[in-house]
Amino acid sequence: MAATWPETRRLLGKETPRLDGPVKSTGRAKYTLDINRPKMLHGVILRSPHAHASIKAIDTAAAEKMPGVKGVLVMTPVGREVFYAGDEIVALAAETEEQAQDAMRAIKIDFEILPFFVDELDSMKAKVRTVGGKGDSNLTKPQTYEKGNVEDAYKTSDAVVENSYGASTICHQCLEPHGVIAEWDADGNLTVFASTQAVYGISTQLATKFDMPATKVKVITQHMGGGYGSKFNAGPEGEVAVSLAKMTGRPVKMMLDRYDEITVGGNRPSAFGKVKIAGKKDGTITAFEVSSFGTPGFKGGATVNFGLLPYVYLDAIENIKREHTVVFTNGGPARAMRAPGHPQNCILTEFAVEELSGKLGIDPLIIRRKNLPPNLDPEKQEKKDRNDWLTRRNTIYNQQLDIITRMCGWKEKWHQPGKGPKKGPWLHGVGMALHTWGGYAAGGDPNECTVRIAANGSVTAESSTQDLGTGQRGVTAIIVAEILGLNIEDITIRIGESNLGKSSGSGGSTTCPSQAPAALRGAVGAKEDLFKRVAPKLKVDPAKLELGIGKVIDTESKKEWTWKEFCARLGMEEAKSVGDWSLAMANDDKIPKLSSGQVGGVQVAEVWVDVETGVVKNTEFWAIQDCGLLINKLACESQVTGGVIMGVNYALFEERIMDRHTGRQTNGDMEFYKLGGIEDMPKINVYMQDMPERGVIGIGEPPTISTAAAIGNAIYNAIAVRVPVMPFTPDRVLEALAKKGAKG
Amino acid sequence: MANSPQAPGGMSRRAFFKGTGAAAAAVGGIAVDAPEALAQEKVDAVAIGPGPVKIELTVNGTPITASVEPRVTLLDALRNYMDVTGCKRVCDRGTCGACTVMLDGKTVYACSMLALEARGKEIKTAESLYQNGKLDPIPAAFVKYDAQQCGFCTPGFVVSMRAAFDKNPNATPAEVEEALSGNICRCGTYTQMRDAIVSLCQAKKEAK
Repeated sequence: MAATWPETRRLLGKETPRLDGPVKSTGRAKYTLDINRPKMLHGVILRSPHAHASIKAIDTAAAEKMPGVKGVLVMTPVGREVFYAGDEIVALAAETEEQAQDAMRAIKIDFEILPFFVDELDSMKAKVRTVGGKGDSNLTKPQTYEKGNVEDAYKTSDAVVENSYGASTICHQCLEPHGVIAEWDADGNLTVFASTQAVYGISTQLATKFDMPATKVKVITQHMGGGYGSKFNAGPEGEVAVSLAKMTGRPVKMMLDRYDEITVGGNRPSAFGKVKIAGKKDGTITAFEVSSFGTPGFKGGATVNFGLLPYVYLDAIENIKREHTVVFTNGGPARAMRAPGHPQNCILTEFAVEELSGKLGIDPLIIRRKNLPPNLDPEKQEKKDRNDWLTRRNTIYNQQLDIITRMCGWKEKWHQPGKGPKKGPWLHGVGMALHTWGGYAAGGDPNECTVRIAANGSVTAESSTQDLGTGQRGVTAIIVAEILGLNIEDITIRIGESNLGKSSGSGGSTTCPSQAPAALRGAVGAKEDLFKRVAPKLKVDPAKLELGIGKVIDTESKKEWTWKEFCARLGMEEAKSVGDWSLAMANDDKIPKLSSGQVGGVQVAEVWVDVETGVVKNTEFWAIQDCGLLINKLACESQVTGGVIMGVNYALFEERIMDRHTGRQTNGDMEFYKLGGIEDMPKINVYMQDMPERGVIGIGEPPTISTAAAIGNAIYNAIAVRVPVMPFTPDRVLEALAKKGAKG
Repeated sequence: MANSPQAPGGMSRRAFFKGTGAAAAAVGGIAVDAPEALAQEKVDAVAIGPGPVKIELTVNGTPITASVEPRVTLLDALRNYMDVTGCKRVCDRGTCGACTVMLDGKTVYACSMLALEARGKEIKTAESLYQNGKLDPIPAAFVKYDAQQCGFCTPGFVVSMRAAFDKNPNATPAEVEEALSGNICRCGTYTQMRDAIVSLCQAKKEAK
């Protein structure tokens, strides 16, 4: 089967409203939080109020006797330590939520409070480890890298800039909290409704955890209220719900409340760095040096993408020196958040690049063009693919810079820092930043999509994949309808159930480039199976059959059947094919290339800064994104504008604020943890750079990477001084202005 | 009545007690027209709770009864006791707007009022905007312009926008945006919401 993307596209790339739009917008879609099962119990978790403590005693006797309480389970036993305010200690389930909360308050815990640090700088100075494990500090051994010689380059450069920048920790703040409803039946089958971005993955995780046949676990996620990288596993809350359900013989609903969702449900780690950059008058960057640190909380890994620093311009800069230290603190563990490490990389790089252009007195557009990564020789590439991004990246970035500067009127808008238009106390600025991302198909076992054609002509496409709000249902329906000559509404989509074939978790923008080719191959395979089964009954050659719109044509006899007439000949049979796709298949030269990866994008922000109040208004925004073959233009653009809006929030509003004295988050809510509303958002202009020859590429993550850096640079362009740490709140803007004033 | 104390939801105490007629009747029917504040306090104190009480709410035109503790919010009563889940529990503290419902045509945060307070009121949730297989023009515009991604905040936005147009059918896009300032979307669908708003305002203009 050699399925390829169709040359002429009837449905692909058009604007198609999402299939579940009508049920979601009228509140009829059932999310995990909305599911109420017969005889269901409500679970809650008692969490540590202390950032670091040893548990000396747990008394649940009173709680167990409270009205409605059906089960109590200790999650962290006596003698063990808790490492952040939010760490799980005891779970319980009761008839009503109110009874569960009352019972939780009746549990008594004796803590021995231990030293803790929630601030990165405090933790770096400490000579004690407060996050478990061995050692006498909370630091990891720094990662280091060196290329060329930065010291020599500084001496021969026309300008050197040294400054410090940072991005505060932010929280995923998923509107639907993490959690599950777990239910066992009498035969020992486990059904779990989960708010997850990895339906299949959670089913295997729970089968392993509870040591049971994988096929006896069914995970269901029909609709999911936001994950952004934080919902890849069942979590302690999911596992304990399964245990409580087993213990009580009743379904148990265990969903985090808002404070727990913010403090426990994941965060994007902070990154702070001292950067030194040097360049020549023509815009060549001669050296880049960075010494950075950030905190992932009490455990977890990277806080920047170390290998990609300096971001985007890495391959063009000859002298590089970098060092990064992970600083553990007693906070909730970081989780992947929409392009992990990349927004932090982008800030540490693009802020310095912008200031270097300021010091050199040149348009920052010149410095960016001058330091783009070079195109690579296709002959020297492993796969010798002329469409490969690496062989065209310089060209693509230059095209993007051409397009976006025309779109936004860069020539008219850009001015030397601080020399722009003024409206009373408001100063004008524009800023730019670039990004890159993979977006390949998922590695590992292939993703599957099964396409079934029934004798009544109905078509169903099935997969265990999930729709996080990306419009995945529509992606599959558009492709299957395109191939079978049907309308999108003719295709029934069944997803979000773990027993519908293998699929990977929705991370790394891999879902569309994995599932779209699988759907294509499934549809083409089902069509071939249909022809093979029906042709003998009609006494025609299956190889001579072709699909038209809503019909089947025998090219030899010119005879035609409507789709329904033709499918009716299946009789008692079903035509079916399991389509599959993986990264290995995408890299296999013997299989037509249906997906690829590596994308670039450029973003430009226009801001007005009130120098009296420090308020920043981002009035307009431009984003260009290359995206391979477009499946659904409407949903694709939504990913870009949504990514930009998430970046605006990152730049201007969001910050996890920890109290150094109690070790708790002070803004574990939605009132003081700020997210912008509709009136806070700029007008966003999007340009999708459709490149069908590259196949499908995922772009869920890239559009959020460079937004905050572009806004930061626009602020610099407005007030001619760097506001070093995000979010750029009025107090930080005023502080930067005051420092500039003090320097004269 | 200008100085009469206001119960949450913008009702006067008098109207509030009329709404809780069942409780008032239970203590002898003295409350409803009693002029003295003291008498009213007395009724308040002995009325109900702390155990579950049977209440009836009119949701999208249908009366639903349930047994809830008096401390249960309108949101939790709808979601946990009546299986009406279009209104979502997100912040649970009157900030994000995901639980927005209409109470006698006015938007309220269902998380920030007790279920008892909603007795005798006409409660409308997003589910009411789909009838006989047809979408109301507001959710229809959300679908057409793709003004939703994960969709968890969407029913709240849809209800807020419906109420804004009900209040002022000639609302300008800026006025509709202001009416949505009590709602938060995490996926960032505001751009498409603006497209939907502009088309709805345009349609109103053309209809005149």
